[in-house]
Amino acid sequence: MFDAEKFIKKTIPKLKEEIRGKALIAFSGGVDSTVSAALVNKAIGDRLVAVHVDTGYMRKDESANVKKLMKDMKLNFRFIDASKEFYAALKNVEDPEKKRKIIGEKFIRIFEKVAEQEEVEYLVQGTIAPDWIESGDGLRDTIKSHHNVGGLPEHMKLKLIEPLRDLYKDEVRKVARELKLTVSERQPFPGPGLAIRIIGEATPERARIVREACYIVEKEIEKAVENGLMEKPWQYFAVLIPIKTVGVHGDQRAYGNTIAIRAVQSIDAMTCAYSNIPHEVLDNISTKITNVLGNKVNRIVYDVTNKPPSTVEWE
Amino acid sequence: MVRIYVIDNGGQWTHREWRTLRDLDVDTKIIPNTTPFQEIYRDKIDGLVLSGGAPRVGLEGNLGKCKEYLEKSFFPILGICAGHQFMARFYGGKVEPSKIPEFGKVELMLLEEDKFLFRGIPKKSIVWESHNDEVTILPDNFKRLAESENCKIQAMKHNEKPIYGLQFHPEVEHTEYVEQIFKNFVKLCEK
Repeated sequence: MFDAEKFIKKTIPKLKEEIRGKALIAFSGGVDSTVSAALVNKAIGDRLVAVHVDTGYMRKDESANVKKLMKDMKLNFRFIDASKEFYAALKNVEDPEKKRKIIGEKFIRIFEKVAEQEEVEYLVQGTIAPDWIESGDGLRDTIKSHHNVGGLPEHMKLKLIEPLRDLYKDEVRKVARELKLTVSERQPFPGPGLAIRIIGEATPERARIVREACYIVEKEIEKAVENGLMEKPWQYFAVLIPIKTVGVHGDQRAYGNTIAIRAVQSIDAMTCAYSNIPHEVLDNISTKITNVLGNKVNRIVYDVTNKPPSTVEWE
Repeated sequence: MVRIYVIDNGGQWTHREWRTLRDLDVDTKIIPNTTPFQEIYRDKIDGLVLSGGAPRVGLEGNLGKCKEYLEKSFFPILGICAGHQFMARFYGGKVEPSKIPEFGKVELMLLEEDKFLFRGIPKKSIVWESHNDEVTILPDNFKRLAESENCKIQAMKHNEKPIYGLQFHPEVEHTEYVEQIFKNFVKLCEK
């Protein structure tokens, strides 16, 4: 079985050996990048620069929380608000693969700029096994390009360090617990963020809608888990489907968007079963979303597909 | 320590096979299917897993050097999905597009008692599938071991050699008896 303590003991000296100069890490605040940052920080200290980019497609309060986390971990960090740039780059883009590629490339451009200023030579990424497996490597068919891997521009000048490359999520969580990191139980969040939870063009307005809906789904499911009503899903969120349907609001015709509730159960996301959310919880989510986002959303649906045939995220 | 290599035919879950073996304390490695048999043989391995493949590779054409492995090996081999389909073609069976492809959750029915690979597995269990093609004619000298509602040849075994083919995916988390099936295969390789 996987031994987190052994893994840490083996990895830190290896990183010390491998990284000669300064390194940069793309710090999202998720389990993978936080564990990677903690390991590299233990190996090379302040020579590691952690960079968090607010893309405008973050969850509610996320960037503020990440800032606090970087402070608490005593990382040498930089915080960059690039939301306007990302919104502009994704204007009129509807194709999911294009979205992923544009976001991945933009991330790297920003990191390259910081890398130049800080004179770093290495880029640390929290890539884990399923990321590069699903991205395909010539032999495999590409299901989705994960922005850690498939989105990397070919002419990138930085040397890549991926300390978690052979690990699965449950193993990364074990390492996080061993390192006493508060993020150890956080649900995965895709690199391209809420942009791929918006079907079609990811406008700032749509980002605002799906952000609020995701927040409600997260809060309600976490409450239900706490009350023992259901098992904690591997991932749980909302997807905005910009297809309008007819509703009725206070005796008046309404014509609003659709939100899908998605929650799946898994240990490594290679296969997933949809989560069994009790009806009372679905009911709460539905009522809250349609009330809070009254003029925007008037229909809620529940995604009941497994992986395969579907994937966890919709795009 | 038992040494079992995973031959990578490009499937989405090759890594899961590697992980399941690793978790059973097997000395294991993922090897590209272009590796010559001589190189694998030199490592004194006890068994091979032929992984699933990129779309449709089981239907026709070569799976790298899988033909050579099947010709020359004397140790147990477990073919999964495309690996299983290639195995069937190699031994003279037939592979065709499935009338009803299967994805996700399916009920597996064991037809025959099998003391090795399916030891301790109940007659009915849940397995996960992901295939567009399937074995339609069993090769000579093979026995059919399991079926599902829409696929008649879910598992097969060579009559004399420790060679098994599985259409379903025994390596993914949501298949009910992942560990038991792999434990059984490891035991077969230990012999």
